[in-house]
Amino acid sequence: MTPRPLRLNVNGTAEEIPDVPGPERLLDTLRWRLKLKGTKEGCRTGDCGACTVLVDGRSCLSCLTLAHEVDGSTVTTIEVGAEEVLVARVRAAFDTAGALQCGYCTPGFVMAVAGLLGERGTAAPREELLEGLGGNLCRCTGYAAIVRAVDLLRTEVP
Amino acid sequence: MTAAARPDAGVKLAGTAVFGTDLDVPGMLWAAFVPAPIAHGRIRSLDLRAARALPGVTVLGPDDLGRFFGPAERDQERSLFALGEVIYRNQPLAVVAAPSALEARAAVDAVKVEIDPLPIIADLETVFPDWPGSDADASPQVAAHVHARHGNVDDEFRGADRVVSETYRTASVHQVALEPHACVAEIRGDVWYVRTSTQSPFGVREDTASLLGIPESSIVVDGTWVGGGFGGKGSSFLEPYALILARATGRPVRFALGYREEFRLGRTTLPAVVRMETAVKDGRIRARRVRLLLDVGTSLPGRDFATGYSIGFLLGPYRTESFEVEGYAVRTNKPPFGPHRAPFAPQCAFVVESHLDHVAREMNLDGEEFRASHLWREGESTLLGQTIGPFGIAAAFERARATARAWRAEAAPGHGVGVGCGFWSTSTGAGGEVRLRLGPQRLVVLEGEREIGSGSVLAGLAAVASRVTGLPRDRVVIEYGNTAVAPYDSGVYGSRTLGALGRAIEEAAVALRRTVAERLGARGQAELSVERGEIYAEAGERRAALTLLLTPEEHDAGGLVADGRHYAPSRLIDDSRVLSGTFYPYTDFTGAAHVAEVVVDPETGAVRVVRYAAFHDAGTVVDAGAAQAQVEGGVAMGLGAALTEEAIWSDDGRLVNAGLLDYRIPTLGEIPPISVEFIEGFAGAGPFGAKGLGEPPIVPVPATVAIATRAACGAHVTELPLSAERVARALKLL
Repeated sequence: MTPRPLRLNVNGTAEEIPDVPGPERLLDTLRWRLKLKGTKEGCRTGDCGACTVLVDGRSCLSCLTLAHEVDGSTVTTIEVGAEEVLVARVRAAFDTAGALQCGYCTPGFVMAVAGLLGERGTAAPREELLEGLGGNLCRCTGYAAIVRAVDLLRTEVP
Repeated sequence: MTAAARPDAGVKLAGTAVFGTDLDVPGMLWAAFVPAPIAHGRIRSLDLRAARALPGVTVLGPDDLGRFFGPAERDQERSLFALGEVIYRNQPLAVVAAPSALEARAAVDAVKVEIDPLPIIADLETVFPDWPGSDADASPQVAAHVHARHGNVDDEFRGADRVVSETYRTASVHQVALEPHACVAEIRGDVWYVRTSTQSPFGVREDTASLLGIPESSIVVDGTWVGGGFGGKGSSFLEPYALILARATGRPVRFALGYREEFRLGRTTLPAVVRMETAVKDGRIRARRVRLLLDVGTSLPGRDFATGYSIGFLLGPYRTESFEVEGYAVRTNKPPFGPHRAPFAPQCAFVVESHLDHVAREMNLDGEEFRASHLWREGESTLLGQTIGPFGIAAAFERARATARAWRAEAAPGHGVGVGCGFWSTSTGAGGEVRLRLGPQRLVVLEGEREIGSGSVLAGLAAVASRVTGLPRDRVVIEYGNTAVAPYDSGVYGSRTLGALGRAIEEAAVALRRTVAERLGARGQAELSVERGEIYAEAGERRAALTLLLTPEEHDAGGLVADGRHYAPSRLIDDSRVLSGTFYPYTDFTGAAHVAEVVVDPETGAVRVVRYAAFHDAGTVVDAGAAQAQVEGGVAMGLGAALTEEAIWSDDGRLVNAGLLDYRIPTLGEIPPISVEFIEGFAGAGPFGAKGLGEPPIVPVPATVAIATRAACGAHVTELPLSAERVARALKLL
């Protein structure tokens, strides 16, 4: 459990973080060491999805992931720039559809949608995509506008 | 009016919006409560020495407050810590600050406390197994007693064709804003400064001043982006603790709750029991008796607003000749009651609608026709004697019935369709002030509320400012200011923002346009427009660029300034009908009727909502996109309260399901398609006749689902939520 260095590629930047304790969660590494506060802390028990990020392109609950488990990986968070084309497209769809209110679940939702589309593609059955978002909670929108954003993405040319 | 893109989408989608949990000040300490391990007991000893001996740790308990604050000025009724007696589980005994969350946790664990247990009252029905008697007012368990009567109730009941009596029970529900409470406090010279995620910066300032016994003028409260409020962030909570820790340590202090603590300590709607009795003669409601026992946890006597405010929602929206209503706020060993989106109104609507539908069935009458024929109309008065203004509930109900007829005609076997309605009152009465600054290129609206997500500030107020000045939306800037900078505002609650601050903006805009007209040598109000990026004014025969009409001093200040305020008069209740306690007037009536189609699993009793339609009287809709989004979100939240959401308290006062896995809010796949329609033509007290829309959408939902469920399978469920278990019991499957 001795703190040891951690290597991550975060949003295109190689990070070498010294002295990360063994039990530290990826969520806390991102938020408190790298100061990437866009990834939100909700329940810390894997129930709300607010902390969702992409690890090597796949969506991941950063509150249930030890930072050292993903040592050497590529991590993508909501702060990533427009060069990450899929995330940029999801952001644009959320904007067009008005798929946010308070905004607290939004970063996790955007990353979850990006992860899902990256994995299954926009041609995947609608029901499959919507089921894949069952782990992200939103209290404001009733999900209606979020579903409209997903539908926009499905009708776009991939 | 048309929809506009959300102005806050950019920062929220880039991850740069700073919420309360994101606050990060160099050198800050992390705070935590020392929670009471039992729900009721006498504190024999509280030993903080071992915790204080830990490196970098500061612990403050009840004995330390005198070091910083004059006890004479502090709020004597409420205290930050348990004093001598613990009255609810997890009540703060002390508070710690440490260099990290882990060290704060270790310090909490190092506190030694000995408590002699006292009997725990966890269930309000154990306090009054029968209805409270005449000696109940003297009981320490009674925080409030309200009683009102009108007409000859007893005679009407004696002369009735039929009397229907029922008892309903409703569960405790939590707001579940995804962002837990969080703030960072700092002492800057002689200023107590706190940044916090709150619905009411001025409310936090007032409350903190009263709790700590320091003047409001020495406290500055600065709101962050708010990750959902729903009533849970309406008053001070962590801020006073963070401030005293900052004062004691000389360091900034971060205080954020973990989500389990958010459940356990959050101020929520607690369980209630409602007894409904209705006397019917010749197919008309002649008299009603309504009795309410509302669990208010450890709310203090005199501090319970819920009973006197909420009970009015059991009296409407239906006409009757006479009535009697009586309610008790019952104290139990739970945290104090707190408001949850339209506090207790969805529960009231569930009881009223289910009961009147049942009454109609008992009389072999059509439930919808029976209710529709008794609905309040404009110009009538409520049972407490308030005159009802423009009110579109009957029109909404008719639209809902037409939809229900169409859905019934095409519904699959086993499906049920139901109509439910409910009303709300927009609280425009509380104080609201704004400052407008009209510069050569833009109009700034300075105000003291943070956007909490509903869109009422950034979409609603921007739309109002645009419409009253004639300037396009992109020329209007909503500028939030902290409590040292912004004009006073009482906060985001009661669906009041659009009505109260909107009217204040209207008043200030009229003053601005008059001043501009005077400078053009004309009377009346100048017309404003934009040309090549510059604001132009026109009045009488003259037209000029605004920049030419400003004095050098106004140029320095950024433009011409005008203030606006709005304190709406309340339509008062008839005090001659009140026998005991305080009832609160409603200021602006908004109504809605909903339709649900459900299917019930015949083996498990699980209810699934297949489709949903909502018809709302929101007066004049000022931003169509934001309005639709409010209804969709409110309906979804209501579906949770209808079907799955229930905070379960054990006999020893413990919240059993303090987490999002066990306290089930709806997930994406569980929300049916929701259609939304606005019923226009019933002007409210807000700008252009707008009515607030934050709370009304949740009100009719549990009622609508319950009526649809009965239509689908015959189950008459008299408890919320309509869990599979309760439906199965009603169907005698269990």
